[in-house]
Amino acid sequence: MPEGPVPQARSVAFRGGGFAPRPVGIVGPIVFVTLLLLWELGSRTGWISALILPAPSAALGALEDLYRSGLLFKHLGASLERLVLGWCLGTLAGIGVGISAGLFSLARAGVVPLVSAIFPIPKIALLPLFIIWFGIGEASKVATIFFGVFFPTVIAVTGGIDNVDRGLVRMGQSFGLRWSSVVRKIILPGALPAILSGFRITASIAIILLVAAEMIGAEFGVGAYILMAGNLMATDQLIAGVAILSALGLGVGWLIGRAERFLLRWRG
Amino acid sequence: MDLHLSHVSHRYGGVEVLDDVDFTVAQGHIVCIIGPSGCGKSTLLRLIGGLEKPSAGAVLQLGEPPADSRNPLTYIFQDFALLPWRTVRGNVSLVLEDHVLDQGARAAIIDDVLRRTKLSEFGDAFPRQLSGGMKQRVAIARALSVNPACLLMDEPLSALDSQTRELLMDDLIELWSREPFTACYVTHNLGEAVRLGHKVIVLSRRPGRIREVVDIDLPLAGRSAERASLEALQERLWRLMREEALAADQELADA
Amino acid sequence: MQVSSRIRRSVICAAIVAAGAVSGGAWAQEKITVGALRFTSHAPTFIAYERGYFKQEGLDVELKFFQAAQPVAVAIASGDIDFGITALTGGYFNLADKGALKIVGGLFAEKKGYKGMAIMASNKAYAAGMTSPAKIKGHSVAITQVGSSFHFMTGMIAAKYGFAMSDVSLKPLQKVGSMIGAVKSGQVDAMMMVPHVAIPLDKAKAAKIIGWMSDLGPYQVTTIFTSTRNTAERQVQVKRFMRAYKKGIADYRAVMLNQKKDPAATEAMVKLIHKYVYADRPYEKAAPGIKAGAVYINEGAALDVGNVKKQLDWFKAQGLVKTKMTYKDLIATGYADMFDVPK
Ligand SMILES: Nc1ncnc2c1ncn2[C@@H]1O[C@H](COP(=O)(O)OP(=O)(O)OP(=O)(O)O)[C@@H](O)[C@H]1O
Ligand SMILES: [Mg+2]
Repeated sequence: MPEGPVPQARSVAFRGGGFAPRPVGIVGPIVFVTLLLLWELGSRTGWISALILPAPSAALGALEDLYRSGLLFKHLGASLERLVLGWCLGTLAGIGVGISAGLFSLARAGVVPLVSAIFPIPKIALLPLFIIWFGIGEASKVATIFFGVFFPTVIAVTGGIDNVDRGLVRMGQSFGLRWSSVVRKIILPGALPAILSGFRITASIAIILLVAAEMIGAEFGVGAYILMAGNLMATDQLIAGVAILSALGLGVGWLIGRAERFLLRWRG
Repeated sequence: MDLHLSHVSHRYGGVEVLDDVDFTVAQGHIVCIIGPSGCGKSTLLRLIGGLEKPSAGAVLQLGEPPADSRNPLTYIFQDFALLPWRTVRGNVSLVLEDHVLDQGARAAIIDDVLRRTKLSEFGDAFPRQLSGGMKQRVAIARALSVNPACLLMDEPLSALDSQTRELLMDDLIELWSREPFTACYVTHNLGEAVRLGHKVIVLSRRPGRIREVVDIDLPLAGRSAERASLEALQERLWRLMREEALAADQELADA
Repeated sequence: MQVSSRIRRSVICAAIVAAGAVSGGAWAQEKITVGALRFTSHAPTFIAYERGYFKQEGLDVELKFFQAAQPVAVAIASGDIDFGITALTGGYFNLADKGALKIVGGLFAEKKGYKGMAIMASNKAYAAGMTSPAKIKGHSVAITQVGSSFHFMTGMIAAKYGFAMSDVSLKPLQKVGSMIGAVKSGQVDAMMMVPHVAIPLDKAKAAKIIGWMSDLGPYQVTTIFTSTRNTAERQVQVKRFMRAYKKGIADYRAVMLNQKKDPAATEAMVKLIHKYVYADRPYEKAAPGIKAGAVYINEGAALDVGNVKKQLDWFKAQGLVKTKMTYKDLIATGYADMFDVPK
């Protein structure tokens, strides 16, 4: 019998890898700047007509005008006040209700269907009612943000508590820990990651609702500025206002990121 | 303080899990409980520790626990049950915080138990930084910190690799030799049972009944030298267990 | 220069040909789109459409309905529709500044003796002494938006009674419904309102009419406008559209501005308008609102040029409109009468 051919050595094809995002810090800014440059170029050459979209430089000019007039900080101040007040109150109330729904069956039975029923209602649809309930002053604006923040917070907190390892709770009980200690030292820290990622969502919702909130008789505020720009067809100001909102969103996201890194440093 | 299980039976809904289990855990002794999977060992431990109430019978404390015992019946869990957001010291501190202790006394207790479990250098580490064996040593340190009258251990070593398991067993024996503690030790591992138990209780398949009680009179500390007699013991336990385990397996397959 | 004059000449040639063709009756119908809002003040659009005046001019009109005037202007600037009716607002002027829009005629105007926009006080403010427009100084005024016609009307009142805009606090509430709610509940002191809403509110004692905009002097509220491209390239089409539209206006004026003269004709016209306005309500309920909403409309779509200039100047002075345009750049003449033209 003749010898068969010598088997050929071949390296095994690689099929692992992927599915593991790693941070590539520089790409984000590059994409951002490139898009802006293309946009500016398009506007300068007339390829993008001013009617469709103002040039980034025009928006920057509007921003500069706003800064020069001193109104920038007036608008920002008014909006931040509403955001901070509405978000904090909504978050506090949401955490309170979320904790009771997470811990007590009775509260859960009452709260969860209510939240499911009311959360999806667009708050803008309720604006006329808010005007009647809370007037056209600050209360209705803060209330709009409050309601936007409250319901998702309840959902995040309740879900976070549900996902706390029951083994840890058993452990606490087996060492005779007081009920309040179990809640404070085991359940709440265990729910914290979920609560913090809830914050990311509610902070964005609060910023989204800012424009809606400032539809109600607001003289100052970034949302009021954007509405005015839209009504006046001042598209450069519109873009400037939207850029302020974006910056606000980035800032808030960064703050929450810092808070996460500090509060959840045990995750490494 | 001794513990006495007086004709304890337990059922979940229609499922009878434990049937007329009756034995005593004498002070300073380690009682190992073995039995096929699903026979109710974990349930039994929960009943002993007061995390659940038996359907019939009672778990009795005979005599008073020592006055300085802060949590007479203390568990050590298979999955360690450490709070990931607390350091090693924090995890031990957790179970002391609800007791009236001044800062200094609490720190002294923590230092002491960490020293006894050879963890003194790792007080500020978070659980994620520790190996499995170290995590279980933290859980043991935590249990020791409350001066338990009886330790309730549910397969404390089964999440660990066999080398670590050996080392930790030596640690437990050393701890016991220095200061004998009382324990109920649930395990699947017959080797652990014959190394650690003064008494081994063999449960039948579900519903768990006491099949046999095996007393081991060899002193704990010297057992590693007595390989031959331990092997024989283990062989005997395995024969007892074998049919039950087979039958239990069959039952599950039929179900 | 050369080119544009040549284009113009060729357009004129085409116009002559077109005129001949229309009289010959062999001209294919030209498709155009007209933006409309479901208001009685847009009635001439519906009348001209229903009575076939556009068809007679060889125009196959499609009506496109909008919820607000601003999107109509945007749609014309973008070339999606051809003609629209709008109040002159800051938004309109800024859009016109991009060079895409031209006013070709006037429609709704405030005229003494006709019910136009009412000036209203909340019951609370009225009881506290705000009983005439002059006393609005120091009070709050509900408007839809900054730069809206409500904003301008507040400016007219301020100018007439000699106070500054800073003497009133404007409350932009985005929607007419919210304005009404805010005044009814006394949260805002004053507002301007269309007559068919204002009169029932006053009758129900929910708020108080304290004056009429028509008492403050001329005000060209709405205008007919089209794209600059249409006025440059399709002058014949614009002319034909305006001819048809003026017929609609004439019918409207003959009946709706003197409703008692011929009740049967009024009934017929209200029924026609009801197809488009308040169509969700039964006729009996809709008719009074339609009748009361029949505001004054300029004969022959004449445009009050002087008032257009005044409005543009006011918006510029308020810093709401930034443009180098003059009123002349806003208007395309030759399609309707121009009056009060500044010298
Ligand atoms: N909370 C519960 N509700 C209902 N049935 C339960 C509950 N806990 C345990 N059981 C059932 O009781 C029986 C005994 O369970 P248990 O966990 O005590 O067994 P085990 O001996 O510890 O098993 P293993 O060796 O697998 O750990 C099983 O059949 C289990 O399904
Ligand atoms: Mg078990």
